[in-house]
Amino acid sequence: MNAPILSLRNLKKSFAETEIIRGVELNIFPGERHAIIGPNGAGKSTLFHLISGNLKPTSGEIIFNSLQIEGLTPQEINRRGLARSFQITNIFPKLSVFENLRLAVMQRHGLQYTFWRILSKVPLIGQETDQLLERVRLQARANTLAGELSYSEQRALEIAITLACDPLLILLDEPMAGMSHEETDYMVDLIRELTTDRTLIIVEHDMDVVFSLSDRISVLVYGQVLATGTPEQISNDAKVRKAYLGEKVGA
Amino acid sequence: MKPMKFGFVLGTTLLLLLPLVLSQSLLNAAIQMLIAALFACAFNLLCGQGGMLSFGHAAYFGVGAFATLHAMKAMGGVGLLPTPLLPLAGAVAGLAFGMIAGWFATKRSGTYFAMITLALAELLHALAPHLKSLFGGESGVSAMRMPAWGMSFGNSTQLYYLTLIWVLASLGLLYLFTHTPVGRLTVGLRENSHRLRFLGYDVHRLSVLVFAVSAMFSGIAGGLQAVSNESANYVVFESHLSAVVVLNTYIGGVSVFLGPALGAALMTFFGYAVSDLSRSWLLYQGVLFVLVMMFLPTGLIGLISWWNNSKAQYGFVRLLPVAILWLFAVLLLTVSSVFLVELLQRMFSLDYRALASVNPVAPWPAITLFARPWFPGVATTWLPPILIFFTGCWAVRLARGRWQALLDNADVDASLSETAGDGVKS
Repeated sequence: MNAPILSLRNLKKSFAETEIIRGVELNIFPGERHAIIGPNGAGKSTLFHLISGNLKPTSGEIIFNSLQIEGLTPQEINRRGLARSFQITNIFPKLSVFENLRLAVMQRHGLQYTFWRILSKVPLIGQETDQLLERVRLQARANTLAGELSYSEQRALEIAITLACDPLLILLDEPMAGMSHEETDYMVDLIRELTTDRTLIIVEHDMDVVFSLSDRISVLVYGQVLATGTPEQISNDAKVRKAYLGEKVGA
Repeated sequence: MKPMKFGFVLGTTLLLLLPLVLSQSLLNAAIQMLIAALFACAFNLLCGQGGMLSFGHAAYFGVGAFATLHAMKAMGGVGLLPTPLLPLAGAVAGLAFGMIAGWFATKRSGTYFAMITLALAELLHALAPHLKSLFGGESGVSAMRMPAWGMSFGNSTQLYYLTLIWVLASLGLLYLFTHTPVGRLTVGLRENSHRLRFLGYDVHRLSVLVFAVSAMFSGIAGGLQAVSNESANYVVFESHLSAVVVLNTYIGGVSVFLGPALGAALMTFFGYAVSDLSRSWLLYQGVLFVLVMMFLPTGLIGLISWWNNSKAQYGFVRLLPVAILWLFAVLLLTVSSVFLVELLQRMFSLDYRALASVNPVAPWPAITLFARPWFPGVATTWLPPILIFFTGCWAVRLARGRWQALLDNADVDASLSETAGDGVKS
């Protein structure tokens, strides 16, 4: 296999006395869809916060695209090609859906400090925004305020915003949380389609989603990676069955 | 788009023709209104669009004013720039000071941001009287407008046109700014700066930029004030001015671009008109602010969109009586409140109490109000305002009833047409 696109080396994070992430070792390879599962409080979200720059690690290394990124600000990490979504929908609720995406698309065109051009007169931005809207099937809702979308539409928008900067690696934090069965099926298809030719790390509780979507799975228990492997390897792993999957998969 | 363009052309034409109909003193008031409108719009870029509520915007206005005065005084009174370009000095100073202050203030958000801006402005206010060379001590700095480009700038008309051109150009630039990438990001900053960070934007630099642009246009407003007054002292840094711009902006409405300009122009005009007539102007200003915040959270400009939306929904003919009724109710309540406030204010004034205590046995002397004598000791004095007040309350009830009926009718209509539609289908 190629060199990993993301490597976590002996990554640790403590809050005061409490150690949440206790030496995580993980390699993610280009193009794979990798799920991170684990019981509540295992540190899955904390791990995402560390990788995306929302939190600074206490020690250890994060190497993304052969550069060390631990301790960088979220915007610096994003500009290197790593984008994330949030567990709790994190959009611009009082702006239109179009505007939400346009803000996200604009970034990699280097228009951050541009105050001498009218944005609507930059055709490329509008086109790309429209394309993205189409890909997440929100084009009919372009002029709706993002806060007025249905929950699953908001989740789709959240993912579209994450994708807008054309990242190499995408972190999705529980994209199906709170969705119905139909919505989940729809979302799985959408994620599969949108992440072709990209690398994906996903935290998800829905085991059907995890096993159908991912190429490899890592099990995080108590701040450490218990096992990493293909869905079959994981579901047959005795340690994992005992520590976590147990009843759920057996049932 | 069409009505907007029409409104723009009409508004500009009216403003251009104003000096033909106004007296010199009213024209001076118009100059103050224009300056206040620009200041409020500059403030609203930061507050309404960027979501950063500054409590110390007088600082940037003041810095602009002093910089302009120094530019006016420079080179032995000849001036650094020809008179029409002097506000540029205010712009530069506002921008520079805004960048420095903004760098600190935008390190924090929300209440902490507001506190830092307040502290910076208070710092300047406390420091200014001691910095004689910069702010001229307690007496301030004064300078003379020099003739330039074949104009003397000695009368209000020329000054009005100078101010008007600067204000219109600045408002135009501020409006265009809202459509640039930075301008759109400014709104994103207000909505969710956390998310912007994870989209690769440097939120702090962006905030400093917005802060500095807002300060720059505030500096232009300050510069225009300096050009018009030819003097300024440290009082411009007072928190009063910072508070006034907040009130004006919210009374006008933060969510529409010209809302703050409307609020500032109206309040400045009322301030000009009423402050000669009444000593209770600040009370009225406060009451108005509270009422607007309670009943019209979108500001006075929200009334226009309410009217347009309702007209589209219920039709002009059905809406008009309700609107007139509301107007009538508000008018009655205003008249009665003003009457009572003025009467009480005069009763409790030192002059009147001194007058009354000259002869404690005699009934209270008359108070002249609306060119008529009123005796505070007589019931008939209090009867008219109280009657008007209750009539106003009754009118409010009536208006609310009519409005509710309009809403209910609309519901009935909607459900009727729905069932009719179903009938056709089946």
